[in-house]
Formats: sequence, structure tokens, C-alpha cells
Amino acid sequence: MKVLLSWLREFVDVPGSAEDIARAMSVRGFAVESVEEVGTEDAVLDFEVTANRPDCMSTVGMAREIATAFGLPLKARADVAPPAPAATADIDIVLEDELCPRYVGQVADVTVGASPDWMQARLQACGIRPISNIVDITNYVLLELGQPMHAFDLATIRGGQIRVRKARAGERLKTLDGQARTLSADMLVIADAADAIAVAGVMGGADSEVSPGTTAIVLESAYFNPLSVRRTSKALGLKTEASMRFERGADPHMPAVAMSRAIELLETIRAGRPRSGALDRVRAFKFEPTSLTLRRAKIEGLLGAAVPDEDVERILSSLGFSLVRVDGGWRIAVPPRRVDVVREVDLIEEVARHYGFDRLPVTFPALAAAGRGIDPRISRARQLRSALTGAGFSEAVTFGFIAEAAAAPFAAEGDVVPIANPLSETFAVLRPSALPGLVDAVAHNRRREQRDVRLFEIGARFSRAEGERRALACAWTGNAAPEHWSGSGREVDFFDIKAVVERVCEVAGVAVETVPHEARWLAPGRSATALVKGTPVAMLGQLARGITDAHGLPDDPVYVADIDLDALERAGAGRDLRVEPLPRYPSVTRDISVLVDVTVPSAALRSTIREAAPATLVRVVEFDRYQGKGIPEGKVSISLRLIFRSSDRTLTDAEVQEAMDAVLRALRDRHAAVQR
Amino acid sequence: MPDHTANPSIEELREAFHAQLSSASTDQALKGLNDAFLSRKSGSVTALLKSLATMPPETRREFGQRVNTLKAEIESALDARRASLEATRQPAGAVDVTLPGRAIPAGRVHPLMRVRQQVEDIFARMGYEILEGPEVEDDFHNFEALNMPPDHPARDMQDTLYLGVPIAGGTWGAHTGRVPDAQVRAATLLRTHTSAMQIRYMKTFPPPVRIIVPGRVYRRDNLDLSHTPMFQQFEGLVVGEGVTLADLRGTFEAMLRELFGDVQVRLRPSFFPYTEPSAEIDISCKSCRGAGCGTCKHTGWIEILGSGMVHPAVFEAVGYDPERVTGFAFGMGMERVAMLKYGVDDIRLFYENDLRFLEQFPL
Repeated sequence: MKVLLSWLREFVDVPGSAEDIARAMSVRGFAVESVEEVGTEDAVLDFEVTANRPDCMSTVGMAREIATAFGLPLKARADVAPPAPAATADIDIVLEDELCPRYVGQVADVTVGASPDWMQARLQACGIRPISNIVDITNYVLLELGQPMHAFDLATIRGGQIRVRKARAGERLKTLDGQARTLSADMLVIADAADAIAVAGVMGGADSEVSPGTTAIVLESAYFNPLSVRRTSKALGLKTEASMRFERGADPHMPAVAMSRAIELLETIRAGRPRSGALDRVRAFKFEPTSLTLRRAKIEGLLGAAVPDEDVERILSSLGFSLVRVDGGWRIAVPPRRVDVVREVDLIEEVARHYGFDRLPVTFPALAAAGRGIDPRISRARQLRSALTGAGFSEAVTFGFIAEAAAAPFAAEGDVVPIANPLSETFAVLRPSALPGLVDAVAHNRRREQRDVRLFEIGARFSRAEGERRALACAWTGNAAPEHWSGSGREVDFFDIKAVVERVCEVAGVAVETVPHEARWLAPGRSATALVKGTPVAMLGQLARGITDAHGLPDDPVYVADIDLDALERAGAGRDLRVEPLPRYPSVTRDISVLVDVTVPSAALRSTIREAAPATLVRVVEFDRYQGKGIPEGKVSISLRLIFRSSDRTLTDAEVQEAMDAVLRALRDRHAAVQR
Repeated sequence: MPDHTANPSIEELREAFHAQLSSASTDQALKGLNDAFLSRKSGSVTALLKSLATMPPETRREFGQRVNTLKAEIESALDARRASLEATRQPAGAVDVTLPGRAIPAGRVHPLMRVRQQVEDIFARMGYEILEGPEVEDDFHNFEALNMPPDHPARDMQDTLYLGVPIAGGTWGAHTGRVPDAQVRAATLLRTHTSAMQIRYMKTFPPPVRIIVPGRVYRRDNLDLSHTPMFQQFEGLVVGEGVTLADLRGTFEAMLRELFGDVQVRLRPSFFPYTEPSAEIDISCKSCRGAGCGTCKHTGWIEILGSGMVHPAVFEAVGYDPERVTGFAFGMGMERVAMLKYGVDDIRLFYENDLRFLEQFPL
């Protein structure tokens, strides 16, 4: 709301500069966007008026706040006496709908021309373009009193009637901005005896517009239902100075006051004369102010400071509230313009605003009970963050919505959740995985000379079937071991990303096994799912060529993992951490190399060994795998290290040998393994 | 008379020695030098000393002194050179310590998460419970219960993204021993603020309440220097008997000073539908120390978060008695904090995940 200092001073004799006023008001709820000098003497202050304060969308409204802030009286002219209702008029006004509970109309004979320089200058300073003396008067009143007004060319009004009614479904009206608009039956319009001539509270019609040839006008000053104006304005996509005020709630007392002021201006600038009196039509309208109780104890209870009675009374009465002292506080009548004040707390806010937030003491809330601590999933995210950064992964944060094409490969058919009103195609659906966003981030880095990229993200993903779930995504491309003078680097491969998944599972305290599993977004033969006790917790592997191409990545492999944090948490739930006693007897290590078909999974060998060996086998691990010279086609040599240990004795050579014999037998029987 | 001219003069020997010493940089060369000048059998200085015996007594004494001086000079020069050679010698197995080390992989925590963890830590120390909530919400939790009924003008302040199909929202509160407030209503929108969790929490637990809810929120905003359609917020809620606006003030004076260092903090009246009174909280501008600059739009103050006393209508919506309890709530954007703390002037940097940006933050 732009307020001209000289105009403001017609309502309050505020001393000091525009900057002084700006400072004082910004700590009373009216941030000042800018202060612009006008000439040498004057200035325009642009106040940010919050949505709950339509009463301050006017010079007089701001003047009332400023008067209260500076402890000054508001000058009497702020309340022009309302016009006496006319006994007869040249026009009939019919309120057909309760959405317009009050309508003041006045016919005037006019000579249309330019408004005087001073009026034009004031409008321009406040950001409104002068149009003609008649239109300028309505805008002048709007800026001064906050009451939107409208002038119709009397000659265009058919049947001598102003009817305020709902639009007929499909009724058409060309508005002042030149747009032909189709109205719907829930919209309130101003009509003459025939058709709509204005969208009530939003914009006038082009056909009834005041033109240079206009000789008589009907001035409108009304109150329209806020919700109705809001809905209409939204439906038409038409936001105007008028609609913004009506939809927040105008002052129901103002239509008559504003009409008087408009007529006064009409005569002052010799633009015309009223014909007979104004018509003040009222329908189902409540004029009594709201009455509220304000308790002294509640003020202190909410603010943490006792505000002296005289301050409470000074502030509220200066703002236009009337107070009567009652036991423990006040009985307060709320002026109808204060649509925001409906409860006791609203009054306390008024007191606090003008008493000064800076005068409150500085205290801390008492801790009445111990808190429930930190959500373990937040703690878990921190542990994961620390484990992954320790493994060279940087954390990414990408958007929760992505393009439909990017999402599709990562979701089952029809499982993607669309956004009903997306900003653009890029943000059209909720992500079914954080991977598409992460892969975009990888591509962004690759395009900027970053060849070795490791990124992870922790966050929600969405599906129709399962709703919102939490996941961890990792992407790795380029070097696994960075180049170093002591030896060349190594490119990332499947077993690097597998180790990352294993590390994440370790953080969650669960052991995983990895089995082959194909997915549309993973390269065939290099894709797997990680299981905890048979339940899938992650998918991992090399990103399919089609996906890397779609994200504009070069041919180097990108290894990725998508880990279901909810599943992982369930799998790891309910574990107690108990230490085991340290071994007291030495272990015995035996290495074997066997030749098997390449199709035999290593996990199968391990599992056979475990089954065949006695309980003293504590560990079995592959330490070499060889194909090539000396190994028949289709075969592979696997070397395994077996470690035996007993908790109650030193193992003898003989019993370890017996165990090894059993292991080799089983490998031979089950996998046709040949010892090398 | 011995023929002195047959031997080199003392000065010639001295010059010869120093000339050869300057190029002797190995033990071998030093030993050769020692032998050439000082060896008992063939040393040239030794030879001079031997020649003394044949000298006339009147010159023998003076000449002898000069030769001995030269001998001592040579011995000490050789010793010094040997010592300096010893000092520069690499011990067995020496390495070039100036070669680069083998890098230990180290990724970076995202700056927004750095800020988040820091804020979480501050509030955790103040006894706050920290939890997350669903990112997809329903109209009741995101708007209606927060005193924003349908058609409320304040809904315009937060342009909402709606889901094309309703889905189940995420769970929350596993740490409380049960999964509360089962998703009775399907989610229909992306939450526009973390305030939705105020409602879920209060509907599930009786007062007192002291919680912080960090998380992602979504608005229908275009990407520009200072807006992203998704951003990160902190919600805070304190409810109990006798919680006041002065408590809110005290909490943020302490919290913001810890987060930003030596700044002034002020409360400025504002409007939010779910708080009354409402306050914006500003900190004094650190770049101009209050004098006014571009960062603070020449006001000396920077808006950092929105807050206020919980509106009684919100308490009524969750079944709390506004006559018995009061409370304060606040919401803070993590991007804004990170931008101010780290001098980031384009919010989009947080979402590009450019390693050259991320790696500027320490481990």
C-alpha cells in the first residue's frame, strides 16, 4: 500500500521524516518495502499490509495506525458524515442477493475531462494512472478511504435500474480490460434491467464505462461478500484493487462515507453535481459491532509481561475500539472495519504490537516433562551420512518431483503419482526413486569436467501402491581408486557398489546377501537385489545404457544402488547389542583352490562349505578367482580360505583335515568341483 | 741446503687443496684428498713436514709452524666436509616425503544438511524432541486445522501442488513406541509447510509439547535466484501451561546467536493464520553491521523466520484447551540460513549438486 506523506498528514500531524515513520511502523506490523522521495518536500511510503488487515489498505487506515504509534489524535476529517438517504432518486437499486448486503448509489450530472494536477499527482505518486476526472475521483477515494467505487454511464443503463444479482449461467460481459468473459451462475454481478454491466467487486463492464461524452453517471459504493468476490476473482483470473479489498473484507460502514467524500470531490474539482440524494440500499445487514472480553490476566499469560491498564486503553481506543472496564479486564466493542479481530487473542495482539515486542522480557519456556528425544530415523540418517561421506560420497539434495519420462523406468506400470497442477513437464510426477534426480546430478557434474562422481541422497519416494516411503540412493561413476603416482587408478565396478550397500546394511546392523535380479533400469547381468533374511532391501548394479543415454551421460559405467530405508529399518529392528567373549584358542587356516563351472555362484560354494564343515569353521572367504591360461574354457578357479577355531580347545591337525576332506567331498559331489 | 723449489710452496698446496675440496662431494673423494695431502707415505703436506729435517734451523721453526697450520686447516676442512656430507645422506629406506599421499575418499555433507544438523543440535540441547513427518499431506493437516479453511485468503500465500491421485502418506513417530495417527485420510497434496506436523503431533500426544520438525516442503514457485519449488524447513512447536511470547523471544535470541554468532535479534509483528500474535524474527545484518546494505535491503535487518503464539483455533482443532495451555510455533527456511551463513547468493546452487560447490564445505 503506497501512502503519500502529505496526504497522510491530512489525517495525522505526524512529525519526523518518512524514514522515522517507516522505522516505527515496521516494528508494528507494517514492513516498509520502500521510501521514495516525491519532489523536495514529499515522500511515498510503500507499506506491506498483511492479508488480515484490509482496513489498512488506505491512507486513512495507515493514518490510524501511525496516530496510535506516535500517540497522536486522528483528525476528524477521517470520518466524513454519511449522506442523508434520498427520498426519491432517478434510478432504482434492487439487491436481489445477500452477497451484496449494502449498496449506495448516487446519480450525478458530470462534465468529463481531466482531473486537476494535484489529484493526478497524488494518484501517480501512489501508482495509479489518471484516466478522467470521474474515474480519478473513484480511485482517489479508494486510496484515501479504502472503499472501492465505480462509475457507470447513466445513459447506458437500461430500464433505470441497478440490479445486484447472480449472473445467469453463461452470461457474457466485456470487462473494462477489453476481455469478453463468460460468467457462471455463482458469480455476483451488477446488472441493469437487461444484462450484467459489472462483475460485482471485481471489474466494471466496458459498455457502461464513463466516456468523454458521458453527461450523467451512477456512482457505486457498496459492500460485497468477501468469499464471493474471492471465488469470482479466482475463477476469472482477475485480481483488481477492488477485488483485493473486498475479498479480504471491506468496512461495511464505509460505502456511505465514501459516497459523501466522492460527491464532495466532484464538487470541489467542478466535475459535476449530485442529482437529488444518494440511495442507501441495505439487505440483511448487521450493523452492531462485535463485542469481546479482554482479560488482564490473559494479556500477561500470553505475552509474559503485564501491560499497564493505561497502555491497553490508550492503544485500543486510539485504534477505534471502545472499552468499558469490567471485573478483571474490559468489555470491548470492535469497529466493523476490523475484520481480523474476532477473539480475545486478536485484541492482545493489538496491544502487543503497539506496546512493543521489544519491551517484552527475555525468558525461556519451562521444561515440564522430559522430551521423547530424537526420532531414530533422523539419527540413522546421520549415521548413514557419516558412513557414506567416509566412503567418498557427497550428499545431494534433488527435487521430489521429476519429468514423467525420467520416472517411468523406475516404477511399475501405472504406479507413478502425477501432480495435478505441475509447474512444468520437468516437475510433472512425484519421484518413484531418488535415482533419476541423482543421475541428473551426475550428468551435471560430468558436463563440468568432474569425471569421478560419487553422490548419495536420503529422502522420500512415492508410489500409488505404497504411498510415501524413505529411501537412500547412491550413484558412482569414474574412479574407484583415484590415480596415484604409485600405481594407476581403478574404474568403479559392481563390487564397489555392492560394498556400499553392504556398508549401509552394516550401519543398520543387518547382514545382506546379494542375488541376481533384473530391472529395467539396470544393465542385464550386472543387476542384483540385496536381501535381508529373504526380504529385499535394495536394488543395485550398473545403470542401463538407455538410462545413461537419456540423462546425457557418456558411455562410462555408472553404478547405482536404491536402498529401501523403511525395509532396512524393519529388518534391523529389535536387535540388542551384546558382546561375545574373545577367542581363547588359536585358529587354523586352510586354503583350497577348486575348478568349477563359471555358472556356479560363489555363494553356492560357500554355502556348501558351511553345510559340510563342522561348527568349528568360523570363516570362509574367496581370496582369488582366475580364468584364462591353464584353465579350461567354461571353468573358473576359485581359491578359498577357511578358518577353523574352537571356543574350548586347540584344534588338532587331524580334526581340521577331517573337516577339509568333508568340505572337498561336498564340493565335488554338489558342484563337480575339482581340487587344483 | 735442500732444494725448496722442488716442493710446491705452502700457498700452492693450500690453493690446490681448496680447489679439490670444492668438487669433492663423496666419501671416496674426501678419502682421496686426505691421502693426497696428509697420508703418512705420500701426502704432500707430510712431505713438506719431512723436509723440515733438512732445513736450516733459522727458517725451520717458522716454516714448520706454517706447515702445521696448513695441516690443521686441511684436517678441519675435511672433517667439516665429512660432517656436512653425513648430514645430507638419506638413511636406508628413505622416501620422498614431498610426493602426494594416497587420498582417503571423503565426500561432503550437503550444506543444507549441515545447517539442519546444526539447528537440530541446538534445539536438542534445549530439550526439544526432533522428528520428521510425511511430505505428502491432506488438506485438513496442511490447511484446515491450521485455521485456514477452504477459500481462506492466506492460502494464496502458499501456492499448493496437488496430487493427481490420492496416496498413503509416510509414517512418522516410530520412536514414540507406536505409529500414531494412522493415515486415515489419504494424502492429496505436497505439504506447503512443516506446520502440518503440529497438528499430527498434538492430535496424538497431550501437552506439554516441545518439538522440532525438519523436512522438505513444496510450493508452486518457479526456479529463480531466491525461489525453488521445493525447499527445506524447520517447524518448531512448544505448548504447555504458561508458555509466553517472551519465551519465544528468549528462545530465539539464544538460538540465533548460536547459529549466526554475534547478532542482534528482533521480533516484528506479522500475520500467519495459525498464530496470534504473529512475529517475524529478524537478525541484524552482519555484512553492514546495521548500517544498511544490499543484503538487508538497506534496513539493517534480515528476516530469518516466522513465528507466533499458537492460535486458539489450532488448539481447538486438535482438542487442546486454549484456556489451559498456550504455546509458540515457528518455521524457518534452511536455504535462507545457509545462504546467509555461507554467502551463497543463488539458491539453485543447493539443488545442482555441483561437486565444485559441495567440496567447498569442510568435512
